[in-house]
Amino acid sequence: MIELKNVTYGYTDKEVLHNVSVRFDTGGMYAIMGANGCGKTTLLRLVAGLLSPHSGEVTVEGKSVKQYSAIQLARRLAYVRQYPQTDFEFSAFETVLMGRNPYQRRLQNESQRDWDIVEQCMKQTNTWHLRLAKPNQMSGGELQRVMLARALAQQTPVMLLDEPVSNLDIAHQFEILELLRTVNREEQKTILIVIHDLNMALRYCPQLVLLHQGGIRYQGATPQGLTTDNIRTVFNIQANPITIDGEATVLRLEPQKATP
Amino acid sequence: MPKSHSSFPTVWLLLLAAALAAAMLGCSMLGVVHFGWDEMWQSSIFWNLRAPRIVLSVLVGAALSVCGAAYQSVFRNPLTDPYVLGISSGASVGAAVAILLGLEAYMLGVGACALVTGLLTIVVIYRIASIGNRMHTTTLLLTGVCITFLMSAIISFIMVLRQDKMDSIIFWTMGSFASASWTEVAIVAPVVAVGIGIVLYYARDLNLLLAGSETARSLGVEVERVKRVLLLSTTLMVAFCVATCGVIGFVGLVVPHCLRLVLGPDNRRIVPCAIFAGGLFMLLCDTLARTLLMPAELPVGSLTALAGAPLFIYLLYKNKKRY
Repeated sequence: MIELKNVTYGYTDKEVLHNVSVRFDTGGMYAIMGANGCGKTTLLRLVAGLLSPHSGEVTVEGKSVKQYSAIQLARRLAYVRQYPQTDFEFSAFETVLMGRNPYQRRLQNESQRDWDIVEQCMKQTNTWHLRLAKPNQMSGGELQRVMLARALAQQTPVMLLDEPVSNLDIAHQFEILELLRTVNREEQKTILIVIHDLNMALRYCPQLVLLHQGGIRYQGATPQGLTTDNIRTVFNIQANPITIDGEATVLRLEPQKATP
Repeated sequence: MPKSHSSFPTVWLLLLAAALAAAMLGCSMLGVVHFGWDEMWQSSIFWNLRAPRIVLSVLVGAALSVCGAAYQSVFRNPLTDPYVLGISSGASVGAAVAILLGLEAYMLGVGACALVTGLLTIVVIYRIASIGNRMHTTTLLLTGVCITFLMSAIISFIMVLRQDKMDSIIFWTMGSFASASWTEVAIVAPVVAVGIGIVLYYARDLNLLLAGSETARSLGVEVERVKRVLLLSTTLMVAFCVATCGVIGFVGLVVPHCLRLVLGPDNRRIVPCAIFAGGLFMLLCDTLARTLLMPAELPVGSLTALAGAPLFIYLLYKNKKRY
């Protein structure tokens, strides 16, 4: 279980999150949504221990994130950043192999087991054919899948994914989200995804955390959260959520007309 | 995909080590006094002059190459070399002052002075670049470059004022092993051994740092601590090297790059190979420096660039096809 208690965080002159309290239960699959700049990435980075809150506390399994060593945290949380860094020469295989770092002792080589896990994760994300490719030889989507493979190779109970499907074509979006749902269901992984597509969120993430202006607008079941009212407040978009064959869908998105 | 499961470049290491050993023996025979195999082991010239010089050049070459590899990964910048933080220019000012004061007459006088000013420079630069307990690497690099210019200006100033000492100062700033003795070997060897050991220990962390410090952190590297330990140990190595033999450029920049072009980016392969490749390269350059215009000595720093630049350009050219 991951919990943020009264967390406030800001960059030099701007407060991004103000007094945020939210709980992520073990085994849940959460969509984190909100307009650009509302603090979604900051929230993930706080959980990942990459940022320390100015006030309040972030806990993982009941213990403050600060009390974990980097290795301990890396065995619990896998974090995939939004824009993968690419200015290095490691092959995709070597990149995914880095996901095994938290389990390796110093001066020790990767074991056969590490190699098998890497192969399996790369096949799951459909990147095995890219194993020899360098970052500058891959497309944005391929790179994103490689980074996801690395996060899977970390074999953590929690995955923090910052827009993992935003660079992918629609087929690969489905593929990756199906895969995430499978590991969520079969391995009880807790998954937090920053995602923009309302319908993808409805389809794949049962839970929703909706951020608005540095605070939590809504947390709970996704279909109940994506109401016309909430969507209008957060995105300034007119939308009609409806239910087709028992499945919630958001139809007819229109820019909000300026009110005179 | 790599065929072997080991990242350890056993074959390369054995080849490089054998080449280094052969070169050390071979170069011992060359010089103003040429030796045969048997007479070499009985000659006091060999034991007191040539052997310490050869050992020292290998040590310094190894240290500079390993430090260069570490710096390039820590700063994620291919242009960094061991002197980028300004340690060499700081040390040069110390040496220049020592030469002005006539401290050359005392054993290790210039070296001690250079060591102190080199380390002082680094302390100042670290103070400027650290924010809390974090190190801002871009500021660190820029401060280093800036201090280097400042110190070079001071040296030029000293040289203009005291033209009689210009030769020794220039010779110092271009590096030389001419004054090598076992004392210097005994001072430098432990620092280099421990320093290289530390870099080897953190070789995998260097790979992760290369992938970005945020990524490294989320994969289990205590980024700030690892950076501090690495910068401290490499800085000490460089300081001791510069203090004993002056500023020998190019080695620390180019040896890691050449290895990277051949072996790929994995620091677990590059760092161990850099020990032998760096030692070998420096030894060959120094042997050229003392034999090319016998009995005159050339500054070894000019030869490292003269020999290294064409090799590096060749490797870059050959690798162009990969992109």
